Amino acid sequence: MTDSNEKLLLVGDNPFHNISHLSQERARSKTEDPGDPKYAASLIEMAVEHGANGFTFSVSENTLSILKELNTQGTIERLHLYPIVPYAFEYVRLATQLGGIPALAQKFGIEMVKSKNLGAIGLGLRGALTVNPASLMKTYLAYEISRIKSSVNKNVHVDSMLLHQLITDIALALNLDWLFKSYVDFVSSKKIIPGFNTGNFAFLVDKFAEWNIDLRKVIIAAPFNKVGFQMSPSVEECEKALSVIPEPVVIAISILAAGYIRPEEAAEYIAGLPNIRGIAVGVSKEKHAKETFSLFKSALDVDYITSV
Amino acid sequence: MSREALRIAVVGLGKMGLLHACILNTMPNVQLAAACEKSLVTRKLFKKILSSVPLVGDVREFSGLDLDAVYITTPISSHFSVAKTVLQERLARHLFIEKPLTSNYHESKELCELVANNGGVNMVGYLRRFMVTFMKAKELLSQSAIGEPASFAINAFSSDFYDMREYAEVAASRGGVLKDLGSYAIDAALWFFGSIQVNSAKIESLTGAGSEDAVQFTLQRESDNLQGAVSVSWCIKGYRMPEVVLSIKGTKGILDVNDDKVSLKLNNGDESIWYRHNLNDNVKFWLGGPEYYREDAYFVKSVTNNSLAEPSFETASKVDLLIEMIQRKAERHD
Repeated sequence: MTDSNEKLLLVGDNPFHNISHLSQERARSKTEDPGDPKYAASLIEMAVEHGANGFTFSVSENTLSILKELNTQGTIERLHLYPIVPYAFEYVRLATQLGGIPALAQKFGIEMVKSKNLGAIGLGLRGALTVNPASLMKTYLAYEISRIKSSVNKNVHVDSMLLHQLITDIALALNLDWLFKSYVDFVSSKKIIPGFNTGNFAFLVDKFAEWNIDLRKVIIAAPFNKVGFQMSPSVEECEKALSVIPEPVVIAISILAAGYIRPEEAAEYIAGLPNIRGIAVGVSKEKHAKETFSLFKSALDVDYITSV
Repeated sequence: MSREALRIAVVGLGKMGLLHACILNTMPNVQLAAACEKSLVTRKLFKKILSSVPLVGDVREFSGLDLDAVYITTPISSHFSVAKTVLQERLARHLFIEKPLTSNYHESKELCELVANNGGVNMVGYLRRFMVTFMKAKELLSQSAIGEPASFAINAFSSDFYDMREYAEVAASRGGVLKDLGSYAIDAALWFFGSIQVNSAKIESLTGAGSEDAVQFTLQRESDNLQGAVSVSWCIKGYRMPEVVLSIKGTKGILDVNDDKVSLKLNNGDESIWYRHNLNDNVKFWLGGPEYYREDAYFVKSVTNNSLAEPSFETASKVDLLIEMIQRKAERHD
């Protein structure tokens, strides 16, 4: 389990899916293939040697292959794991190609049966028969946890499971407090910290207060950078919300504004913020892995933050 | 408007319907008043999720719900019949339809006539008009930042059906690439340059016989000799998200815009680049991208003020006309 005083320096997986939020053009022009599991695992290992202590990733066949590589190398036991579920982009793409939600649900059911995860199948059947969204969600989460566990050894612990930004923000928009509470209860029952990735941090903090969801018992991943990249509704509102939460439970993402901000500037900005539990940053080259994590390890040192 | 919140319903709870329903639900001056979904499975699921919102299987069941506006986000083939029902049965005065307006120009024209008699606000969801990069590029063009435009090129690409030969049926159900992705390119050309006509066109089938997967065509502005080349495909590798790129050559320089940035290169060597976050891109609620919120907020404001919303049905019907002109002119390569 994570020591709550230890700062999290998580390697993000966006480059392993060829994602650049600043420019699709730039993502396409990359010459290396960081999506190759062996190469991705070697980048993570390099990052760990220079200060990284965790890996956050959307659960997909590709990232599970990376986990298997890390497991073989032995690096996995030095990592805090922060999986993100579901891999929304992949499911949206599949729904588009297969012709909608019912076709996607059918394909997913087949995958579930193939997994032979009897607990998940049972929950899923109950959920499908009663059309119970909470049961269906638990089925899905059980299935994803089993996929992760089957890719690593039994000594590896998943620290937190983060609900994907798209699902978190849909649930926020629709005021689905029951979904958040059900997610928190189920994930906590698996001895995993429930987490939420959001593009609407200030909105989420307000809603959780309204719904009596204890912010001390969750992890929230949200964009924080000094240019306000993806910080809705504004930098000021997000910083204000950060200052009122009771404990450091926030993992800052998009800290480099997808490459627009220099790492030194990003580190200075993040180190000056309260209630930051850690950061997640993607790297696509060995040089970046080494330099970025050395820099953030130094900048996010607990004593350094206290002195700022 | 006399009452505090607009009562808006959404027809079709697929990806786009859910997205608009969510965004509308965060707006203080809007009430998500009803939803309509044809699929029984999806309807049953959403009845549990949206328990406080009336959920029906046929749009006629909106009768008596006292709706102000309806969003139509169903498959393209049903846009016309759903919109016609809403208007003829007076289920709501104001309509938003996801792009393109309808399956063909004949239907679009009929809808334009219906709304002309109806008097409500009508709008079609051509999203790039609400992307800060395209908004900035339009502003620069209007300010003659590159002088007089001499030529333009538009690429609209996605990987939705890259290397997927067995998916012709699904590709066809989305109306072909011209309706799906090409309509964005055509709307951008109309928005930036005004009335245009088609000079030549070529259609390629890549997912199966008779499918429309890649289209190249040339356009010419009606008022002068400005010409442009457009390439549209949903079978290109490396496009995780659909992307539209517009490049305009002018007498003083070149203007390039895509979903992520705008760049201006002048003949005198001066160069400027604006990324999204340089262009005040944040909105009150982020879902799918800030342009969706901006688009919905604009429609809601237009309804509240009862003012013209663009792109209106009339504007969007020109896209449908051009699509038919391209299809008629095209050489086919199966």
